[in-house]
Amino acid sequence: MPRRRLRRPPNRLALHASARDVFLCGIVSIVAFLLQSSLIVRAAQVMAFAILATYAGKRIRWGYFVMIVSSITLFNLLTPLGRVLLEVGPLTVTTGALEQGVLKGLAIAGLVFISLFAVRPDLKLPGSFGGLIARVFYYFEIVLESRQRIRATALVSSIDDALVEIYPGDNGIDSGEPGADGTDAGERTARFATTTDTLGAIVLILVATANTALAIVF
Amino acid sequence: MRIDTRNQRLDLVAFMGALCLFFSTLEYLFPKPVPFFRLGLANIPVLLALELFSPGYVLLLVALKVVGQGLVNGTLASYVFLFSAAGSIASALVMLAVHRAGRRWVSLVGVSLFGSLASNVVQITLSVTFIFGSTAWVIAPAFLAIGVASGLVVGVFAKRFSERSRWMALMKERIGAA
Repeated sequence: MPRRRLRRPPNRLALHASARDVFLCGIVSIVAFLLQSSLIVRAAQVMAFAILATYAGKRIRWGYFVMIVSSITLFNLLTPLGRVLLEVGPLTVTTGALEQGVLKGLAIAGLVFISLFAVRPDLKLPGSFGGLIARVFYYFEIVLESRQRIRATALVSSIDDALVEIYPGDNGIDSGEPGADGTDAGERTARFATTTDTLGAIVLILVATANTALAIVF
Repeated sequence: MRIDTRNQRLDLVAFMGALCLFFSTLEYLFPKPVPFFRLGLANIPVLLALELFSPGYVLLLVALKVVGQGLVNGTLASYVFLFSAAGSIASALVMLAVHRAGRRWVSLVGVSLFGSLASNVVQITLSVTFIFGSTAWVIAPAFLAIGVASGLVVGVFAKRFSERSRWMALMKERIGAA
């Protein structure tokens, strides 16, 4: 396979806040964000969420999001609404359609950015399904370790060789190995905070209250 | 050692869920001809699971794949997750139906093709309904064409892997699906 590394920048937010607390902050932010009707404020929130997502170690493909917002706006313009701003060939640009399109596009982009900072792999889901997800991540780490052996020139056979070696190993669900009880989400998340420290709490409370206040005021 | 108990089957499902996540990371290694294009390599383990498990376990694998991808990519709380979930569930249901009904006549390539088309139809419908508006139907043919191409690629790989893989033969033997 091509040797492009998929290494992500570090999740700095995860060093100070637990997965559950960050997720709760994300849920509060989603509700407040969706209640926001001011275009300017919503645009500012989207930028703030993007900064938070970057702080959480996520790479943002700006071109992709510009295209999403532009295409949603463009399709909205095809249904005229309100005062005519200008006419470009067969396309009539109206204020209502333009505003609605941009609002909708920003909503979509903002929700993705919130999700990017609020969700991380060590988030524990409840119940037996949550336990199975933990086991998936346990195996995912094992499979990832063997990816260097996979060759593009012999894709099927190299993947097959790796699988034969990996599974079934000594990691059966009945053996009580790490992951079976949802305690190990993998080496990548090993340094993530399991409790929220003061700095993390300040950031999360600030994010949640600021968004809630903006939803109430505007 | 045979895979007899429910726990052993669940363990294999979890392993195949991990394979879905692994294949979805491989996807980033391939260039995207258009921004919304996805090969859907994460569906390869789901196609293989059709030959190993009963429908309930296949649907569980799809749920693990969707939630796992949502956690890894951080999209669990966004519209991307809902689109992915809806497309994957529709695709799995269609693939299960085609695989069961046409076991003798339809190979994994055909099953993959139907699944890919089902996923694309659902995702186009959702995006037209909730995001772009009815005018966006004009782009549907292009997306369906992309779905056919990616479904073929994924199906051919899954069929070849299923036929040649020692691991698949071993799993079929142990699970009693050979």
